[in-house]
Amino acid sequence: MNISSNGSSEMMISLKGWEALFSEAKLIQATFVSLGIGALVVVLNLIIGLLAGKALAFYSFKGKAVVDALFLLPLIVPLLAITMGLHVAMIRIGLTDTWLGVVLIHLVPTIPYSIKMLRSGYASMGTGILQQAQVLGTTRWHRFWSVELPLLMPSIRSTVFLIFVISLSQYVITAIIGGGNVVTLAMIYFPFLDSAESTVLAAFSAWFALLPVLFYLSMELLLSLLPYQNPWRTRL
Amino acid sequence: MKLSEANKAWVLLVPALLFLALPLYGFLSAVRTSLQDQGAFTTKYYTTLFTEQSFYESLGYSIRITLIATALSLLLGVLITRSFTPFIQRTAGKLSIWLPMLFPHFVWGYIVLLLFEQSGLISNLLNEIGFIPSTDAFPIVTNDQNGIGMILTYVGKETPFVVLMLLPIYTKHDKGYRDLVETLGGGKWAAFKDAEWPWVFPALVETGIILFAFILSAYEVPFLLGATFPEMISVLTYDWFYSGDWNDRPLAFAAMVMTSVIIGIVSFIAFSVMNRKRMLLTKGQD
Repeated sequence: MNISSNGSSEMMISLKGWEALFSEAKLIQATFVSLGIGALVVVLNLIIGLLAGKALAFYSFKGKAVVDALFLLPLIVPLLAITMGLHVAMIRIGLTDTWLGVVLIHLVPTIPYSIKMLRSGYASMGTGILQQAQVLGTTRWHRFWSVELPLLMPSIRSTVFLIFVISLSQYVITAIIGGGNVVTLAMIYFPFLDSAESTVLAAFSAWFALLPVLFYLSMELLLSLLPYQNPWRTRL
Repeated sequence: MKLSEANKAWVLLVPALLFLALPLYGFLSAVRTSLQDQGAFTTKYYTTLFTEQSFYESLGYSIRITLIATALSLLLGVLITRSFTPFIQRTAGKLSIWLPMLFPHFVWGYIVLLLFEQSGLISNLLNEIGFIPSTDAFPIVTNDQNGIGMILTYVGKETPFVVLMLLPIYTKHDKGYRDLVETLGGGKWAAFKDAEWPWVFPALVETGIILFAFILSAYEVPFLLGATFPEMISVLTYDWFYSGDWNDRPLAFAAMVMTSVIIGIVSFIAFSVMNRKRMLLTKGQD
């Protein structure tokens, strides 16, 4: 960023905070690390959440109540206890200090929400339209691609957004599993809080809110490739 | 081979069940570590823990703050949802609820610090307009013994979450029940108690348990806004976990296991109260 502050003394708005923020070389890299980890967490969440959500919305089976309770568990058991417990195991199989380890630990506070949201998405869709597609002779994949996904868009949107924000917000579990080697945004911001100037911190705080929005917009671009999502097509 | 309906469900659940291995293994491993001394079973870490004065102080402090923050968030969440449901469903309303969720907890904590510190914005503003003689006259509400800063942070951050959890219930809720109460001559209170509460209560219990568990064991906000004494349980645990002394490490595990036990007891009580209610509800629908 090369915005000069020459002659800006009369200006009320100053970009000083942002300048200082972006001159921090680690910031750009940490942003990409956070984006990458967040994207992976989101994708895994969608896969697991869509499958489990469908199972829980459409089928009744023995042990459903137990499964329901189990999926609430990761939100109830202290994340710190789970992370400390996994830390030892992850050291043994070499997952500490790696991206993958951080992605895995970020799944714990996110998956329960994905399952919950995508399940209610499936429930409000109902089975009727899927049966109709089946009667018309579609394959399973075709049905998923052209009926389920388009109809689930509202739930998928909220899931993507929420899961990314949660992943971005994790400090302590990232610190423990990442061991200081996986530097996400939270890893820079959090220790920063004691020392840095308030304008820089304010800019940094805003960056935290901007990032999910940017992520969401790029995700939206990707999702518009799905069938029936072209905004011009529906207006015809 | 044709799968039965039930088996189809289990096939779809495979990835989710595989995921569950992660938290389950993590927790069980934490329990095991807290009960082991060089491979042999021992309860000595728990005995040490229970003689540790700082543990009791910390636990009591944490539970008090957690209960207050959870109760306030739930109360505010219900009030906001039931008064503003039509507004929240519109885009502007949705955005204003989503906005606080955009920021991580520690950013929210920083905002509270910025506003409510003695040298913060509000104190300076009050000083500026002459309401208080100096910024020192502003009460200490951050990093304080009563945890007011933490409570403020959590209420601000979690109330929107409560609203989001309750919103589907209020949007789907059948207005017919309310009309029925009114037709039968019930007042406002009766309408709330009989036509609204039974549907809201289960969601409230679930949300409340999630909040209680989260606030009791979260690290970021207490680190920023907590007092040095007493410490929140998570900060104490983290200190033990990373202290140079390896003897303290199993203590950290034991402290977190005890926290889990408390969360377990609270959830059990809440769920059993709810189930009794729910039974009455389903009976009524027969």
